[in-house]
Amino acid sequence: MDDLSHKITPITHLQGHTDRAWHIAWNPTKPLLASCSADKTVRVYAYSTSPPSPSTSTSTTYKFTLLSNIPTGHAKTVRAVAWAPSGQTLATASFDSNIGIWEREGTGEKPHTHTHTHGEGCAHGEHAHALDGGDAEDDEGGDFAGSEWEWECVSTLEGHETECKSVAYSASGTLLASCSRDKTVWIWEVHPDGDFETISVLMEHTQDVKCVAWHPTEEILASASYDDTIKLYIDDPSDDWFSFATLTGHESTVWGLAWSPAFPKSKSNQTSNSSLMPISIENPGRSHSYLASCSQDCTVRVWQRTAQHKWECALVLRGHERSIYSVSWGRGVRRPSSEVEVDVEGKREREKGYLGWLASAGGDGSVLIWELWETPSTNPTPTLNHKLIARLDSAHGVHDINAVAWCPRSGHEDLLATTADDGGVKVWQVVPAVALPT
Amino acid sequence: MPAEIFNPNPVIFSAPKSAGRLSDLSAHSLWVNDPSLSEDDEADETEPIDQDEIYDLIRSIYDPEHPNTLEELRVVSAPQVTVGTNRITVEFTPTVPHCGMSTLIGLCIRVRLLRSLPERFKVDIFLKPGSHQSENAVNKQLNDKERVAAALENPTLLDTVEQCLANAGARGGHL
Repeated sequence: MDDLSHKITPITHLQGHTDRAWHIAWNPTKPLLASCSADKTVRVYAYSTSPPSPSTSTSTTYKFTLLSNIPTGHAKTVRAVAWAPSGQTLATASFDSNIGIWEREGTGEKPHTHTHTHGEGCAHGEHAHALDGGDAEDDEGGDFAGSEWEWECVSTLEGHETECKSVAYSASGTLLASCSRDKTVWIWEVHPDGDFETISVLMEHTQDVKCVAWHPTEEILASASYDDTIKLYIDDPSDDWFSFATLTGHESTVWGLAWSPAFPKSKSNQTSNSSLMPISIENPGRSHSYLASCSQDCTVRVWQRTAQHKWECALVLRGHERSIYSVSWGRGVRRPSSEVEVDVEGKREREKGYLGWLASAGGDGSVLIWELWETPSTNPTPTLNHKLIARLDSAHGVHDINAVAWCPRSGHEDLLATTADDGGVKVWQVVPAVALPT
Repeated sequence: MPAEIFNPNPVIFSAPKSAGRLSDLSAHSLWVNDPSLSEDDEADETEPIDQDEIYDLIRSIYDPEHPNTLEELRVVSAPQVTVGTNRITVEFTPTVPHCGMSTLIGLCIRVRLLRSLPERFKVDIFLKPGSHQSENAVNKQLNDKERVAAALENPTLLDTVEQCLANAGARGGHL
């Protein structure tokens, strides 16, 4: 452990769920975190930051405040939550076999649009500017604190026959996918005013479907199943959605999926420290071509795109002793190149092919974080490299960890949230094990 | 309950009332009969739990289709319990290899242990290898926490489990 380059430090322990906490989702545009539980509620937390203060502390301080406790009305466990890319809408997947669509109360008075990224539909006085896109300079100012937010269910999507296990919005926000123990994956088209239209029911898996995940930029859907496989789907414009690939290799249930994240093309992935970050964006050949999966077989597999519609297993990561329930792939925070502790050749390679940080967690209570990067090879496809950069055992004491999620917002990519069987939600910051010289 | 009886005529084994270590258990168990030890006792004292204590917790579970206990039907036995550091593995033997009740029996064992053991224990439940024609499918389902959680939100199924567990405290301890 001593030789790991990073450590996982606690930020907060959010208690309140009265039963197993299953899942969490960071809002992509606002400083909000949603968690869901077997207690049938969703809790929405707001976070704010205090900038580093030389007099008191050397690091940014985060403060998390409960904003809403949504009873949901689901008759059974709320298994998963997902935000729309706009950050305005929250979807819930429940064991009662329904999908709930939630919006902040009052915002429904105006026509509901799914493409806007700014808060014109939510202009509530002092909150308005905080609802702007994620990089607004004021959204760390605690505007969410102290105010109660009410959420209303604008739509209930019925169709699955048994427990819904996962729900996900496509990158454009125009499509929603859901999956269930009934072995099906449904794709819904998102219309204004909370209307949804079923556009496909995919019956490719032979068992329980555990997870769905959309590619970060393309309309490619992945699903993971109790049948030990992963299926990939695209739309045939002249026909219907269909499965174009089946990824086999896991030896038991595939619980979770995470695509490698998209990196912004125009700027550094760390806005607050851009001078230190002469990185990686210049790699035009990289097209978010990896998918990570985690399984009951205690491995994480990373699948590499080897052709337009072909993914192959490029890496098997081990280190967990029990089932891995969740995997999340974030952009992470690159250390300044001068700090990369590898030889010159290795350093250059990692700068070019940096792919971010992959976190995994599960029944053994441990959180593992790998840095991934690719290097050129003699094959048409680059070589995928990995290094374990941080590990924390017993992150929630003796309890299973059910979900792990990186914050996607710019400047907060080192924040990681986890949920556990005791109902607890924890937020962590992943920082260099040795403080950087300033 | 389904009308079909998977094993209409099981072999019943006698179970002596003073089975094995019961008196030992009462005298020496550090947690089973001691209400002062609550779950949130953070003293980090790992009380030893052995094979026989686990067996005592599950031997009196009723079989779903017979008025007999799992002990009487020899579905469970002490040697089929393995105790490791915060890990417990329970193996059980269905009375017939096509027993459609196996998943339910395993679920009852899981629920009984969930409710009785300190939270630190991770429990794995398996059929005795070779004892069932759908061994892998049953094992997979019994050890899928999501399927177990969903099953226990099914009122009919939960009611059946409760009936099987109605007398589970007859042997071994109550918390």
